[in-house]
Amino acid sequence: MRSPRLAGLKWIGLGAVVAACVGYLVVSATGTSAQYYETIPELRSHASIGDVRVLGTVQDDVVRSDGGLHVRFSVADGGQAMPVDYTGTVPDIFRPGIQVVAQGSLGADGVFHASALQAKCPSRFTAASPAPGP
Amino acid sequence: MSLADLGSGFLLAALALAMASGGLAVTAGQRDDPVLARVARRAFGTAALCAAGASATLLAALVGRDFSISYVAEHTDRALSLPLTVAAFYGGQEGSLLYWALLLMAGGTLALAASVGAGARLTAFANAVLAAIATFFLIVLVFVASPFDLAPGVLTDGLGLNPSLRDGGMLVHPPLLLAGYSSFAVPFAFALAALLAGREDATWIALTRRFALVAWALQSVGLTLGMWWAYHVLGWGGYWGWDPVENAALMPWLATTAYLHSAQVQEHRGTLRAWNFGLVIAAFLLSVLGTFIVRSGVLPSVHSFAVSPLGPWFLGFLAVSVAVAGGIMASRSGRLRPAQPVETTVSREGAFLLQNVLIVALVAAVLWGTMLPLLSGMLGRELVVGPAYYERVGAPLFLALLALLAVGLLLPWRRVGHGRLRLLRWPLAAAGLALAALLAAGVRQPGALVALPLAVAGLATSAAEYARGGAQALRSAGPRAAAAARVVARNRRRYGAYLAHVGILMVAVGLIGSHVWQQSRQVLLQPGQSVTVGWHTLTYEGVSRQAQGDHTAEVARLSMGQETLEPARLTYASLGGQAVTRVAIRSTPLDDVYVVVAGPPDGDAVAFTVFDNPLVTWIWAGAVLLIAGVLVGNLAAVRREPERVPLRHTAAVQAGTGE
Repeated sequence: MRSPRLAGLKWIGLGAVVAACVGYLVVSATGTSAQYYETIPELRSHASIGDVRVLGTVQDDVVRSDGGLHVRFSVADGGQAMPVDYTGTVPDIFRPGIQVVAQGSLGADGVFHASALQAKCPSRFTAASPAPGP
Repeated sequence: MSLADLGSGFLLAALALAMASGGLAVTAGQRDDPVLARVARRAFGTAALCAAGASATLLAALVGRDFSISYVAEHTDRALSLPLTVAAFYGGQEGSLLYWALLLMAGGTLALAASVGAGARLTAFANAVLAAIATFFLIVLVFVASPFDLAPGVLTDGLGLNPSLRDGGMLVHPPLLLAGYSSFAVPFAFALAALLAGREDATWIALTRRFALVAWALQSVGLTLGMWWAYHVLGWGGYWGWDPVENAALMPWLATTAYLHSAQVQEHRGTLRAWNFGLVIAAFLLSVLGTFIVRSGVLPSVHSFAVSPLGPWFLGFLAVSVAVAGGIMASRSGRLRPAQPVETTVSREGAFLLQNVLIVALVAAVLWGTMLPLLSGMLGRELVVGPAYYERVGAPLFLALLALLAVGLLLPWRRVGHGRLRLLRWPLAAAGLALAALLAAGVRQPGALVALPLAVAGLATSAAEYARGGAQALRSAGPRAAAAARVVARNRRRYGAYLAHVGILMVAVGLIGSHVWQQSRQVLLQPGQSVTVGWHTLTYEGVSRQAQGDHTAEVARLSMGQETLEPARLTYASLGGQAVTRVAIRSTPLDDVYVVVAGPPDGDAVAFTVFDNPLVTWIWAGAVLLIAGVLVGNLAAVRREPERVPLRHTAAVQAGTGE
């Protein structure tokens, strides 16, 4: 029979190898796919690399075209408004007054080009809102 | 007396009884006093009855539309149907807490009654832990978030329920998940009690096996229904979005799954004691963390819940639980050293332990991704990770688990002889064949080429094991059918587990297929125009507008061969013009054609999003097999031999370890 201590060490070694591999994966995947949550003033104050997420309230200037697949509107937060341009499936509950999270980047034209749009449910609702497509 | 007063009275009585039960149980455990333990148990049972009384009162208020109670006014209106009115019981924050407490206390009462024979110390300490958890929930229910608070003014009608929640899946998904969380409090309580009472052997595992299984099954059904609802109702073409709220439900399920496997190692071999205690404690704490995440709104989620003062309460409860459970485990660490370590890596117990390590790693990765916004927010700018992160980290672990599933079943306990290793030729051959078939069919995606053969290998292993059982039956005397039935009945747990493995492999095939081969198109169509996705061509025929009760439906008609698909967009005038989409899905075992109306119709022109989702049906079918396999294999077998099965394992463990 082998020494129990040796067997224990083997398992600790194996656990350490798995932990190291997963640790590496976690760190590298966080580095490549993490996005910053930013406010509109933050977004304007510095140049961002890659996509960011911005939270804001949809204003009254919503213009939909292409049967609703393309939408232009402004979001406001912290006293500042920003135009947003988005093509894709618009959440069902999208309309002026609701809060949305737009994912994308600020163009040189000052328009935020969103690649994904999520709606936040009004707080009285107790469960999910339409989730975005991947 | 008003219903509000009655309900509040029940809650107060339950709180007082739960606190008394907890105090008595601690004393009973310290003195090993069976009489005092019985008193504590009765007090706990009576507290459970009071919680049931409070729940019945709330239901009566909801059904009777007692709008003087603000919970009723906020979650129903006069037009709401009876099933949805009943669902409002657990649909809101306060009600869901009452539901949690009720299930915890009912399950606890049952478990305590069933384990009277296990000795006063163990059951009294378990009673104390259960009473402490119940006390926390009742304090919150009485003082912070009472479902019986009065509405500020007199209302003639309530506010109603969000239309996207008016769905059958939504009626059963939350209560099942919550029931899964709360019933896992029983194994947690008995684990802590075993440590406190110095009974670190497998008794507590045997006593709570059924509760752990039921908790796991409820969580599994809850998760599956959540995915089903997201897929069939929300209309974004997928079933899992790696949202914090989804992750919060996934993590306890993963930890419970790991525990169900590692508990067998302790039952068979008497080892992994500390690991099992740690897993049970972690699984329960993850479900409390999940409740905290869901209820506090600390994480940016598309699910936004009522902003409430509950966050700090749950955080406090979590901190106290971690401290208490960690302290108890640390103080007993000397007694937790394994009687016999897992000696060989290539053995059944080695496979179980490796599976546990992989699952724990997966939980850790999901936990990191879920908590990152909170952690990074504390340090500066808030960072968020999306599906790309989870896929990158999760995929290798998922593949490793699949490979393990193909091999693990074939390994015997303790040590592998060369004869058993030869059995690996079946899964290897099946994987090779699957790979060749996929290559011949023109599949070139690396993900599919690795994952699908691994899943096929696992299926081949299960098939080979069933065949081995069948061959054994054929060799024995007597009628063949009876012999086969005898083999299965004698090894019901094992054959149930194989069935569950076939189920999870089918889920895996569905996940892989829909992930690798999903196609989608967004188009604006005039009547008569067509769109092609995958090998399907859909022709848009027209849209019709119908008034239906409290909403207007715009139903689009598309033809696909002989079939007609009718996705719709419903607009609720009473809710400020809120629109809800109604997805049209045509399912076959091969793929789902999934059509959504993407926006308000512009005259006769309608924008559609059309998905081709391969193999999604496999996920639902596999989940059914998975849950059925575990339940049939375990619950039925335990019921037939109520005492002998657990006791025999305990005896074997003690004999094996020379205790």
